[in-house]
Amino acid sequence: MSIFSIDWYFITLLAFTGFYGMLVSRNILRQLIGLEIVSKAAMLAVISAGALTSNLMLAQALIITMIVIEVVVVAVGLALLVKAHRISGSADIWKLDSLKG
Amino acid sequence: MITYHNLLFMLAVLFAVWAVMVRNLLTSAIMLALVSVFAALILFDFNAPWAAVFELSVCAGLITVLFIGGVSLVRGDYERNPESRTAFHALPLALAIFAIAAWFGVPEFFGEIEGWKRMASPEGTIGLALWDQRRPDILGQIVMLAAGVFMIKSIFPKKKQETAAERTTK
Repeated sequence: MSIFSIDWYFITLLAFTGFYGMLVSRNILRQLIGLEIVSKAAMLAVISAGALTSNLMLAQALIITMIVIEVVVVAVGLALLVKAHRISGSADIWKLDSLKG
Repeated sequence: MITYHNLLFMLAVLFAVWAVMVRNLLTSAIMLALVSVFAALILFDFNAPWAAVFELSVCAGLITVLFIGGVSLVRGDYERNPESRTAFHALPLALAIFAIAAWFGVPEFFGEIEGWKRMASPEGTIGLALWDQRRPDILGQIVMLAAGVFMIKSIFPKKKQETAAERTTK
């Protein structure tokens, strides 16, 4: 079994953990933490593929872009959390039902 | 055989499980920072120092500070209305079942994918990759940052000052 296969096996486990966290929690903050874990898995997948094809420089450039996007997503997600908390007094996604008809 | 490389992956998975399972939100944010630290160590191990430094400073530093700010806001409510812990406690079992099931198919599948690889041309520098090959990405990053700023501005609009004319009409 190659190093690449084992790396991607662990990356799959990491992604599973993140998705599980997003699925079982109703708290926005915990869902963002799950999303972060999934994005870490994606990042490791990119660098592992870059290392396999001797294209580490391009993989690093892509990861830097990913990190910038990740920061913006987390900042906007947390801003939405603050707003939701001010409106409903809770971070529970089930209470975000003010648009319900 | 467990190598340093595999150990880093295992510890990253372990801390990710801890971040999802733990009841305290602050501990969860700190465990996420540790996942970032181990991801950065893996990047260093892959000989990708630029990405590792970004990961360490931005993900383990800045994002953790943002999360801790968020935790300080919602912690009181979370402690008053706690979630059911059953699904969280089931994570190690679910992960173990998934890991055992995946072991019989996933490495072979990725081994097959590995055979499809196409080697890249000889490497340049990170500057060449970032400024020449991926120049549109830089523009995309600037646009993303601007979009983030505009989003936050629109989520928290500045309160309009009440004019003297409006006060007299009341």
